[in-house]
Amino acid sequence: MKKLIKKINEDKLLYILILPALLYFIIFHIWPMTGMILAFQDYRIIGDNVWVGLKHFRILFSSPAFFNVLRNTVIISAMKIIFFFPVPIFLSLLINEVSNPKFKKYVQSVIYLPHFLSWVVIAGIWITFLSINGSVNQLINFFNLPSVEFLTNKQQIRWVFVFQEIWRSAGWDSIIYLAAIMKISSAIYEAAKIDGATRLQQMLYITLPQLKSTIITVFILNLGFFMNAGFDQVFNLMNDSVISVVDILDTYVYRIGLVNGQYAYATAASLFKGIIGIILIFTTHFLAKKISGKGLW
Amino acid sequence: MKIKIDQLIIYGLLFLITLTMLVPILNIFALSFTAPDRVAEVKGFTIWPKGFSLINYQVLLNNAMILKSLFNSMLITIIGTAISLVSTAMAAYTLTRENLVGRKFLMTVLIIVMVFEPGLIPEYLVIKEIGLIDSYWSVILFKAVNVYYLIILMRFFEEVPKSLIEAARIDGAGHLAVLFKVLLPVLKPAMATIGLFYAVFRWNEYFRASIYLNSSSKWPLQVILRQFVVLDDTATMLGANNLLSYNEAAQLNFEALQAGTIVIALVPVLLLYPLILKYFTKGTMDGSIKH
Repeated sequence: MKKLIKKINEDKLLYILILPALLYFIIFHIWPMTGMILAFQDYRIIGDNVWVGLKHFRILFSSPAFFNVLRNTVIISAMKIIFFFPVPIFLSLLINEVSNPKFKKYVQSVIYLPHFLSWVVIAGIWITFLSINGSVNQLINFFNLPSVEFLTNKQQIRWVFVFQEIWRSAGWDSIIYLAAIMKISSAIYEAAKIDGATRLQQMLYITLPQLKSTIITVFILNLGFFMNAGFDQVFNLMNDSVISVVDILDTYVYRIGLVNGQYAYATAASLFKGIIGIILIFTTHFLAKKISGKGLW
Repeated sequence: MKIKIDQLIIYGLLFLITLTMLVPILNIFALSFTAPDRVAEVKGFTIWPKGFSLINYQVLLNNAMILKSLFNSMLITIIGTAISLVSTAMAAYTLTRENLVGRKFLMTVLIIVMVFEPGLIPEYLVIKEIGLIDSYWSVILFKAVNVYYLIILMRFFEEVPKSLIEAARIDGAGHLAVLFKVLLPVLKPAMATIGLFYAVFRWNEYFRASIYLNSSSKWPLQVILRQFVVLDDTATMLGANNLLSYNEAAQLNFEALQAGTIVIALVPVLLLYPLILKYFTKGTMDGSIKH
């Protein structure tokens, strides 16, 4: 015991060094985490909150508005998993085929850029991009088709989110696959070349199978964020004409919580979201482990 | 010959993909420099201004609100990045010391922070509780230490040869000297990368600023930009001073003004971007060439 105290005393400075980070985690992360208990209470401005058990969840699950929001979240996320998820893989395979180093550098420099733009800037660029005079409508008109008002169109708006996500993140997300491709031993390719494998065959039978575990890991992580569906996108492109098809859990929590001030009810909705997220990540992890023998941890 | 065609398709496809990113951005630049009366001529594929004009920037940079928000953004970004970088580095140093009593507990805290996100409302209530609502600190301290960056930095610290640290220790260097005079100089590229990521995050942050900061005089540029571009608040865009000094205000084009604001918010990121590429993707790109 004395030795322990002496050791701690010797390392005093080390504890001081970690103190700012630790305080930050405790105050801004762990404290609000424990605050999720508000989901089972009624919020009081003065005095202690009152315990109400599952009241907010009962209201939540009997509210058609909540189910609409849940539906939108699932649909938008599912669309992204199906149509966004494969794009970075495809992109990394394409980039890997480029032999000219200058062109490769150019492509990488450009496609990583949108990841560093703020969501507001992206919204601004896309509002112009999709406007009547924007390039997309110019292209549509070129083929003699009528212009589309993408941002106020219930049929199109969810696709706008999918394409915006591809535009912003596909390049950046391809980095993880490119890094994995680089780790593949060149001896395998040499052997395949001797056997007369074409580049396409090398891509399909060497590169892609070698990427399997990376693909599974990224997929599980994505599923863990399934209930997010892209708050910033929706928040910045939402308007009255499309709100019924784009309002997701996070925008709903923001609106009923911070705009309407129903703190406890909104917390119940976000706790529900968090629990589904955790269930999803554990389920997919064990499924992946069963199927491929490799999970997230 | 067949291989040539494959390559042609791949190069062509990748070039088209880069155009979908470059053209909309260049289009915004073109729009912002276009003379107000010629904005209608600027179509989606226009990447060069029609009738060069600086009027949009004159109006925007004479708007006291925009100037104040630029100042706020810089303040939040610079102080926030400094705090983040220093506290992340110090934490990474402690966590990579062997035989540290309580290391396991500290690592558990990191994992909890990584796995569980606190909800928006409890987070807001904590900020309120500690009196940070409408204070710059609410935005400066939001996500002050990114656990992922901390763990990445720990990996870098672990890779520094132990002999280097031991030699310094034998020479009588304390922990602070080892951290600031031995480790950080060696890890300059890693620190630069993480610092740039923190800075870009801070510069781009808009949502917490819009819910934590009530006074519009404290808003960072991104919040003002959202006001203009997303919420179409044209009155703020012109600014009270401008309405008086420009009686041609009626001739201004709001689309072009919006584009100008986007450019102002975009330029700092574009200036940092080459540095990001230099430090972060160096390994990725150089490595990819050899294959």
